[in-house]
Amino acid sequence: MKRLLALGLALGVVVAGCGGGGLLGGGLKIGMVTDIGQLEDKSFNEFSWKGVQDGASAVGGTAKNIVTKDIADYKQNIQSFVDQKYDIIVTVGFLIGTETTAAAKANPNIQFFGVDQFIADPIPANYQGLLFNEAQAGYLAGIVAGTITKSNKIGAVGGREDVPPVVNYIKGYQNAAQATKPGVQVLVNYVGDFNAPDKGEASAKTMIGQGADVIFQVAGLTGAGALRAACSAKIWGIGVDVDQYQSLPDSKACIVTSAEKRLQNAVRDGIKRFKDKGKQSGNFTNDATNDGIGYSPLRNLNPVPAGLEDKLKQALADMKSGKLKPVP
Amino acid sequence: MSRLRQAARRIWRVASIPLLAIVLAFIVAAFVIVISSVFTSTGLDVFLPLGAYGSLLAGAFGSGTGIVNTLVAAAPLILGGLAVGLGFKAGLFNIGVAGQFLVGAFAAAVVGARLADSPTVLAAPAAMVAGALGGAAFGFIPGFLKARTGAHEVVTTIMLNNAAVLLLTWAVNDLVRAPGFSFPRTGEIGNSALPVLLPRNLHLGIPLAVLFVFAVRWLLDRTTIGFEIRTVGQNPNAARYAGMRPVFVTTLTMTLSGLLAGIAGAIQMLGVIGFYAPGITASVGFDSIAVALLGRSDPIGILFAAILFGAFRAGAPLMQIETSVPIEIIDIIQALVILFLAADLIVRRVFRVRSTKPVISELATVARTWAGGTPPGGAT
Repeated sequence: MKRLLALGLALGVVVAGCGGGGLLGGGLKIGMVTDIGQLEDKSFNEFSWKGVQDGASAVGGTAKNIVTKDIADYKQNIQSFVDQKYDIIVTVGFLIGTETTAAAKANPNIQFFGVDQFIADPIPANYQGLLFNEAQAGYLAGIVAGTITKSNKIGAVGGREDVPPVVNYIKGYQNAAQATKPGVQVLVNYVGDFNAPDKGEASAKTMIGQGADVIFQVAGLTGAGALRAACSAKIWGIGVDVDQYQSLPDSKACIVTSAEKRLQNAVRDGIKRFKDKGKQSGNFTNDATNDGIGYSPLRNLNPVPAGLEDKLKQALADMKSGKLKPVP
Repeated sequence: MSRLRQAARRIWRVASIPLLAIVLAFIVAAFVIVISSVFTSTGLDVFLPLGAYGSLLAGAFGSGTGIVNTLVAAAPLILGGLAVGLGFKAGLFNIGVAGQFLVGAFAAAVVGARLADSPTVLAAPAAMVAGALGGAAFGFIPGFLKARTGAHEVVTTIMLNNAAVLLLTWAVNDLVRAPGFSFPRTGEIGNSALPVLLPRNLHLGIPLAVLFVFAVRWLLDRTTIGFEIRTVGQNPNAARYAGMRPVFVTTLTMTLSGLLAGIAGAIQMLGVIGFYAPGITASVGFDSIAVALLGRSDPIGILFAAILFGAFRAGAPLMQIETSVPIEIIDIIQALVILFLAADLIVRRVFRVRSTKPVISELATVARTWAGGTPPGGAT
């Protein structure tokens, strides 16, 4: 029995070896290590992976992924791609940043991209953080909120005030709402925590009590609680980072749109830049000029207010041309 | 020769069902792989399981790196498995290893960061002790509650797991957050990191974990307290009649169990992860239960079971790279192993094993504790 099993396994290695060899017709080998969770998370992992696949087909390379189930596995997951002589390694999420930095320093011949990772000095020459212009995305959310509010009061629930991306989102949101509907009151609360749905819920409830009828969340899991509060109060909610209508099915009923980071485009373009220009480093900000930010399809609005789509498209075009600065 | 054969027979008697359960799990999982291959872009591939298991094996044992990765992944599982196994010996089902592990990891991270600039001989042991004490404290609570009030350890430890996650999230956010990072986490551990004995991170925690296998074995087989633990596990009433102290033994066992889980967290923190941040998952906690069941609560059995589960973790990356079979298949295999251990009649039928040890006692503990029967070692 055991001998048979060993034989089978040995055969397996041979089969796997042949299969791998046949598939790789030269070209760049691109590997992606996910954030903790699953690949099809309708969030960072899934869209980054789509970007890797798009990038691979754009440059004629191959794409593979390793899904991370435990923080302790980051190191070996990155190392597995290094050992297999991959050309590009994409890692997802800020938690894996430390290990990515270490791997980039140890392997100067491999290009690393970090999705949503801000890289501090000294920056390795082969490691690029893919960041996003949150103020622009927040501006789009603000246009929607300013257009659909009836009470002339809207709210934003932030994670922490000392995290710049959060503040940028909310500033863009405030400015857009005020430009869209002069006199609108924007209630802003920084909860101080990204992992406390109950606090987010409480914060949103306070705003709703004050008359807000749109809540924009920029607070991770805390924000999920804020959206839940919006839904149960039957007012509108706006999601953040990815299309949360998809990633937060609990709050499907009230999410009108989400201020999106276009992870898929950002990752694809990073791979293309590497193909065209070689090593990429530093922090690369994706914005309206390269479709790096945007808004999710408008939902739950029956009917969609006249001219809203046009206003959003105009704002995107103006941010692209540089005419519109979300935060002056 | 005959002595050798006798020894082999003895091992077979204990290990046959777990081994055959593993084989059967691989076979059933192979069908899952083949069936799911239909839904991928490459289409039906009957040889995919061979490829997947081949790369799993190659990733785990095919190179020096692979073997080191296997051992690194096995080390916390050994300690976690011992923690659960020790509980089983006393008739207790400690589901709280996940929480005790996290508290241990957190304590080690905080003390480790404080002592980051002290010499390693001082810093690493201090951080280890902090982790051990943190886990022990978190194991003491359900043990004490059980002994004094009869509060069921399955219920209290499950709740304490959540309490640990939330408490530590608060602590990292508001008490020990290190400056200079874009997200809440503890500081760099610097010199508190466990020394690496061999390249690719074969850290000191690995021999330490193996050492504990023998320490726990010695405790159970060679000490009075070990005898008391086993007796209370088998029959608390008889133990009390014999003048033993079920209340004390229950509290002590849960505390020791938490201690082992805390050390598991500490070596994982100081040997691999390096910092504590909210969102750290403790898959070790629940895998440890499976390891203890598969190892039949025997320290040596747990050692082998942990190496097997460590091999799964170490081999999974290569399997994903080479065959694109998702890591979730590992969860399926592990779950099937436990399923077949519980329903060992299936294994016996399939492989025509003649009666060996009839019931796996740990599963009896699980069944008893879950079914809410007389809590062994409970308060009077």
